[in-house]
Amino acid sequence: MKQVDILLVEDNKDDVELTLHALRKENLANNIQVVVDGEEALDFIFGRGPFSDRTLADGPRLVLLDLKLPKVDGLEVLRQVKADPRTKSIPIVILTSSKEERDLVEGYNLGTNSYIQKPVDFDQFRETVNRVGLYWLVVNQAPVVKPIAAAAGKSS
Amino acid sequence: MSHSSNHLASTPAEKLKVLLVEDDPVDKELVLCALRNGGFDPQADSAETQEQFIACIEKNSYHVILADYNLCSWRGTEALDLLQKGAMDIPFILVTGALGDEMAVDCIKRGTADYVLKDHLPRLPVAVRRAIREKQLREARRQAEEELDRKIEELARSNRDLEQFAYVASHDLQEPLRMVATYTQLLGERYRGKLDEKADKYIAYAVDGAVRMQALINDLLIYSRVGRQRGEAQRIACTTVVERALRNLQAAVNEAGAVVKCDELPTLYIEPGPLVQVFQNLISNAIKFHGPEPPRIEISAVEKGGQWVFSVSDNGIGIDPQHAEDIFVIFKRLHSRSEYPGSGLGLAICKKIIEQAGGSIWAESQPGKGSTFKFTLPARPTAEPEEKHELAARDLVNR
Amino acid sequence: MNSPLEILLIDDNPADLELLRETLVDQGRVLCVRCVLDGQAALAQLRDTSKGAAIRRPDLIVLDLNLPKKDGGAVLAEIKSDPQLRSIPVVIFTTSQAPNDIEHSYMLGANCFVTKPGNLHDFRAVVNRLEEFWLDVARLPRQGMP
Repeated sequence: MKQVDILLVEDNKDDVELTLHALRKENLANNIQVVVDGEEALDFIFGRGPFSDRTLADGPRLVLLDLKLPKVDGLEVLRQVKADPRTKSIPIVILTSSKEERDLVEGYNLGTNSYIQKPVDFDQFRETVNRVGLYWLVVNQAPVVKPIAAAAGKSS
Repeated sequence: MSHSSNHLASTPAEKLKVLLVEDDPVDKELVLCALRNGGFDPQADSAETQEQFIACIEKNSYHVILADYNLCSWRGTEALDLLQKGAMDIPFILVTGALGDEMAVDCIKRGTADYVLKDHLPRLPVAVRRAIREKQLREARRQAEEELDRKIEELARSNRDLEQFAYVASHDLQEPLRMVATYTQLLGERYRGKLDEKADKYIAYAVDGAVRMQALINDLLIYSRVGRQRGEAQRIACTTVVERALRNLQAAVNEAGAVVKCDELPTLYIEPGPLVQVFQNLISNAIKFHGPEPPRIEISAVEKGGQWVFSVSDNGIGIDPQHAEDIFVIFKRLHSRSEYPGSGLGLAICKKIIEQAGGSIWAESQPGKGSTFKFTLPARPTAEPEEKHELAARDLVNR
Repeated sequence: MNSPLEILLIDDNPADLELLRETLVDQGRVLCVRCVLDGQAALAQLRDTSKGAAIRRPDLIVLDLNLPKKDGGAVLAEIKSDPQLRSIPVVIFTTSQAPNDIEHSYMLGANCFVTKPGNLHDFRAVVNRLEEFWLDVARLPRQGMP
């Protein structure tokens, strides 16, 4: 199973492209997975549904999470991932265009590792993504990934 | 303990504490006589009933118990049962009249050391001597096993202590060391050119020393951590393991223009993490110690005698065979720091990991002709960790 | 946002505190850096700030794990389980690189984990990156939205 460095949860195609471009430019991450809604994000992280052949040992090492998502919204994804001890330690960086103060505070309260507001300007956006990647993949020490416990209720 | 049927009168008689389970006085006397003729000096106690028997064995220790099969109220074999119930290991010999073959075999199976027919009493001393010798052998073996268990526990504890020490020492040393390193550097920064030349030089030496100490401590920590955190074993293809190692070495591979060729590798049931480390260290070395040409590395494996023998070959500078074993020693380096960077830890770590997994690692090389590092891993999952530890400890104790 | 950003440094080593503070302040940003040498005192101060005392609640906490009396992990756990304090980002900045320490910290809710480099140059570089990320790139809850 392929190891994934970054899970990008983003439904806006343009933003996806910009983000991927910025990350790949500095050779920060080779394995980036894109999912376009909250449900897919949860399936991916928990290794279920279309991603049931994934284990936690395959990553992701970092999640870039937009908030305004179809099906399941970003804060709910955050809540679920941070509430489960098996996935709680995965670093999640909210990368959103939302200007709601409520989202900012709620995000941190729910345990997001950090909260970034997407710059409107293209160049600034790329620069920001670049800095985010650098900080979270190089400066930061990520937790060790361990295999998610197999189906039958074994807790890791 | 030798025996001779012609026992010379001049040799002193062996003292023998015997419990006779016999109710016929004549038979008792015949038995004692046979023992004396056989060179024994018997000190006999007598038990005719079960109660007497129990009382005797509880209070006294005997070299041997001689019991008649047919007693008034009970069978001699019942005495044996009582003995076994009390978990006592006293040689028990049936001295009896005619006993059918089946009966005889049954008695032996139940634990009598021997049986002697009453009309073959001259054989009794031989039987007694043999039974006593067998018991001594049993006793010796029991003691040896207990000693072994003790040594294993001691070894395990000693290992734990050592690892704990290495870990704690390295861990706690880092902070003060960091203070020395950063503040001597700050000193250098602040006062360079403002004091005198000697001061500059001294500060530079201090900084150098501190920095090197840090690297050493860091490496020691890494080394001591190897094997402390046991992860979970899983079925994993070794090609996947190599891929992960290569991913970690991406930058070095790209920079050196290294080409890595990986043959078909087996799938093993192991902890992947440590094995990734082994491949990573070997490949990293192959890249580092390259010759004039870009590094070419080949990885392969063959099954041989219940083990997989992995090979990591390169076209680098090679190693002088006289150093082939040294290189696996922690901190041992063959080149100066200015020639090649590194602390001399990578191979020591490989060795620790491979040996913990039940394999061995070695190098085959000639200077200028590249190197092949080989290591073995068991083809099938080996014994449980405790058992493996025990087996290894036994080897150590027997040396 | 008028008042300068508040950063709380919790570390029992005065040498480290000094270096950290100097490096942070050297970058020219307008900052208020507070230093506390022990975890218990830090928690007491934090709880005071919640009740609207003179000292403002910090916008960012930089926390060492090796603290006397109450260790860093315990301090982290208390901050992250206190509804008034848990939204404050906590950067673990510590000597250890041990996977256990890293995992444990994330499980307790640390926002990130950075190992203190052993030499001056790298130390400064890392602190600069840290500062740049948390004060320029990320948005901190206390700051609010622009």
